[in-house]
Amino acid sequence: MVKKLFSFFLALSLAIPNLSLAANVKVGFINSITGPEAPIGENLTNGVTLALEDLAKKGIKVELIKEDDTGKPQISMSAMEKLATRDNIAGVVGPYTSACANAVAKLAEKYKVPLLVPAAAKEEITRQGFKWVFRMNAPADVYASSLIDAALTLGKPKSIAFIYENTDFGTSTTKSAKEYVAKKGIRIVADESYSKGSPDYRSTLSKIKATNPDLVFMVSYVADAILLMRQAREMGLQPQAFLGGGAGFTTVQFAKEKEISNYVLSCTQWTDDVNWPGAKDFGTRYKAKFGKEPTYHAACAYESMMIMAETAAKAAGDREKTRAALKAGKWNGIMGEVKFSDYAGFTNQNNHQMLVQQIQDGKYETVFPKQFATKKAIYPFPKWK
Amino acid sequence: MRTFRTPCANNNGFSTVAAVTALLILVALFLFPRFVESPYTLHIMILFFLSTIMGGSWNILGGYTGQYSVGHAAYFGAGAYTTMILMQYKQVPPWYGIWGGIAIVVVVALFIGSICFRLRGPYFVLASIAVAEIMRLTAMNLKDLTNGAEGILATEIPPFTMGGTVITDFLTKVPFYYIGLVLAILTIIVTWLVQNSKLGYCFQAIREDQDAAHSLGINLTIYKNIALIISAVFTSLAGSFYAVYIGFIDPPTVLALDISVQIVLICIIGGIGTIYGPVVGSLVLVPLSEALRSNLIAQAIFKTGMVSEESGIGVFLKDHLAHAHALIYGILVVIVILFMPDGVLGFIKKLTAKKAVTGDRLTVTE
Amino acid sequence: MTVFLQSLISGILIGGVYALIGIGLTIIFGVMRVINFAHGDIMMIGMYLTYNLFTLAGIDPFVSILVTIPLMFLFGGFLQKLFINRVLGALPQNQILLTIGLGLIMSNTMMLIYTSDYKIISTSYSSSSISVAGISVSEPLAISFIITAAITAMLYWFLIKTDTGQAIRATAQDREAAQLMGINVKRMSIIAFGLGASLAGTAGALISPTYYIFPQIGSTFTLKAFVITVLGGMGSIVGATLGGVVIGIAESVSAVYISSGWKDVVVFVLFLLVLLFKPSGLMGKSRM
Repeated sequence: MVKKLFSFFLALSLAIPNLSLAANVKVGFINSITGPEAPIGENLTNGVTLALEDLAKKGIKVELIKEDDTGKPQISMSAMEKLATRDNIAGVVGPYTSACANAVAKLAEKYKVPLLVPAAAKEEITRQGFKWVFRMNAPADVYASSLIDAALTLGKPKSIAFIYENTDFGTSTTKSAKEYVAKKGIRIVADESYSKGSPDYRSTLSKIKATNPDLVFMVSYVADAILLMRQAREMGLQPQAFLGGGAGFTTVQFAKEKEISNYVLSCTQWTDDVNWPGAKDFGTRYKAKFGKEPTYHAACAYESMMIMAETAAKAAGDREKTRAALKAGKWNGIMGEVKFSDYAGFTNQNNHQMLVQQIQDGKYETVFPKQFATKKAIYPFPKWK
Repeated sequence: MRTFRTPCANNNGFSTVAAVTALLILVALFLFPRFVESPYTLHIMILFFLSTIMGGSWNILGGYTGQYSVGHAAYFGAGAYTTMILMQYKQVPPWYGIWGGIAIVVVVALFIGSICFRLRGPYFVLASIAVAEIMRLTAMNLKDLTNGAEGILATEIPPFTMGGTVITDFLTKVPFYYIGLVLAILTIIVTWLVQNSKLGYCFQAIREDQDAAHSLGINLTIYKNIALIISAVFTSLAGSFYAVYIGFIDPPTVLALDISVQIVLICIIGGIGTIYGPVVGSLVLVPLSEALRSNLIAQAIFKTGMVSEESGIGVFLKDHLAHAHALIYGILVVIVILFMPDGVLGFIKKLTAKKAVTGDRLTVTE
Repeated sequence: MTVFLQSLISGILIGGVYALIGIGLTIIFGVMRVINFAHGDIMMIGMYLTYNLFTLAGIDPFVSILVTIPLMFLFGGFLQKLFINRVLGALPQNQILLTIGLGLIMSNTMMLIYTSDYKIISTSYSSSSISVAGISVSEPLAISFIITAAITAMLYWFLIKTDTGQAIRATAQDREAAQLMGINVKRMSIIAFGLGASLAGTAGALISPTYYIFPQIGSTFTLKAFVITVLGGMGSIVGATLGGVVIGIAESVSAVYISSGWKDVVVFVLFLLVLLFKPSGLMGKSRM
């Protein structure tokens, strides 16, 4: 019985690879389709779906092999093993989470498969000198520095309070932020991490309120961002500015909660009002197709897939040629200028310009850096009504 | 119905045929990497071994001694963290590090035992969960030691040398395959030894009736702790093996409640309190979750032509079957519990027993 | 001092909702001796129900409990009749795994239907608060606290005064004896599970205006419900109420005076201490 079962699965696994050979180029895509990271993973999937449409228009037919990593590193490694050794893909886009991307990066290097990480923030991923690992988005330290730079240009904050979720993203962003504010001479008055999903942050917020900080720096997931701001309003927490480090503070859902989200500053990899070629169009199409606003994850995934598939198609699926072309290439698309370069300890890192935006009247307006600004920033944060 | 679980009944099954089959399977497993080079297949086999070790070690405490711990992630994580911290921050090679892991885990196990073994039934279950959760949250918060939520990434494993010659540099999956295989066999051997020793009889007496065992002069605390330590040590080895193999750990991947539940599931699905239960459980769960995750099942359905890929059902399967793997997992658990309460192995035994009944009437009167 | 009072008040208010979850679990455990690992997932179903009533029919979350309570009761009864009843005599680990399996089915079915996006209910009062002597009291939490108190009182009355309530308590005290006395034990189990489910669903409804909803939300609350129930004494309703409030306060106060990262550790340590030194829970031996 056991043997039968085993041979059934063996047969099953051997039956698959020769399914279709018609496509031009085979690209793998590892993403968190299920599991706790799935809500954001979905945006990446959508971005890739649009990329495939556009690639088809350009005459590049991509055979996409989607793998679900459920947000767990060991599973994303299985996925990478499978893609690299069984499916013979030319390159891989993904995975979404930092933990998974970090684990997969090592394998990419080992199997010599070009890996383009679209939206994982952890700095280490591209700091290990890996030749085969590329990253589209700006790493965690830029999240912090861009926001704090914006606050320093707008006012003269002296103290800062941190409240962040105790995940890889939350802690690593906060860690770089702490280093950065120390350099800028801002005093840290509170440092509070929380487990995501707690229904009550009131006591933590009242503790922060008692320290009377000039800046409140928050790193949170989608819904916690809304919860934190709601409860901050309840408590009457009144800093010069609320700074939201990416993720939850850059969603449309958050912006729609005007009562609590207005004038919050947040940083993002991408907005649809920025003057990068095709950004606006991408936003419109995305809304029409999926019925919701695109997030930066979607844009990062879209551009990553475009670059990977085009490059791989040109190299006729040859991995070494694809890698060389990624390293040498330069693109200008919805993510602005993309170039994978080596700097400040990073290897193959796109030195991406992050944008600081402020919610004004329920809409995201880019306020920093100046050349991309669509509106003037409101500072300090107005009194709660 | 439960008679086949008594210690003596199992010895009867150890015939020459079984021994030869076992030997053949062993030889095949040892030769496997010579013929199969695909790292993906080896990876799946390694996951299978890992799952067998995890299930097997839980089985000694849960299956034989009847202490249903749902907090084994504590030992898995403690082993993983110790080995990883020693390797990454103190440059201690993992083959020494695992002993550190074992030492820590024994201390942790004795501590947990001193709390949990005062409790019985559901209280024991809940206490074991609570302790594992405390460990997870502690690993999350002790940032200086564990690097908190960011986890620990192994940059490289030192090559294993003996007298100047490099035995393996851990660059391929083959060394991991053999380590996993040996550990899995070791777990099975220990289970077999436990089942057929006086120690094992005491464990099983405790499982069947604690109070009766106590009145027979079995020291409950000592025997429960021995079972826990054996179980914890092997779980810790599994954790260390996992950490070194994957090269990355963080609290959610090695200390979460999910892991504890997963460990119990392996045994329940295979057959609790049997030597091969964890093997069968892993044989069901590992390929199934992999096939569901990578949507192989939907593709296999298309391949057989049962459903066309373009049809409505086909599109639905393609889009949702992979998303539904946790759902199918849940359904599987419910089915096993309701219809095969002794696991797949118990179910098969029952089926063959029925056949034996119809085939040979004499066995019934026994 | 303000900070202390503030955290105390927040703790008590959120503790009210915790209590409701705990009471549901304690009734189920009391009558069936089954630890329901799907409790948080049942609560999650209640939250989605509330969400749908709010977005599709425009029914206020607090009013929607009038619909949620009976629907969740039926759902709970159905679970009991179809699944739990079959394992009442089985090994405890099988019971636990069955409920874990049911929980997985629930959360993943909801994920297929609603995707794993976070749903958030924004009412006009979602972030409003009343300020009393420098301490802010969240309006929606205050309302839900009052509703919780009313429901608990009604439940108590039901269990003490009505025939069905007394039959449930008898079943909880001694299943076999109750059966011999002519009580339909199977039916009582169904009612008990229905009650437990509707209480969990109600807690979900009450917390939704100030919280958010996603399919995997259950496990956090399942663990919390265990702690609350053990703290109060398994099977004791008064205990669970007290346990809920104690846990609410413990979380809130330790977040301020220790750190928000360690507050859950405090809760679990408290839990272990109670298990070790007063295993019958705060409310002694009383069963319901």
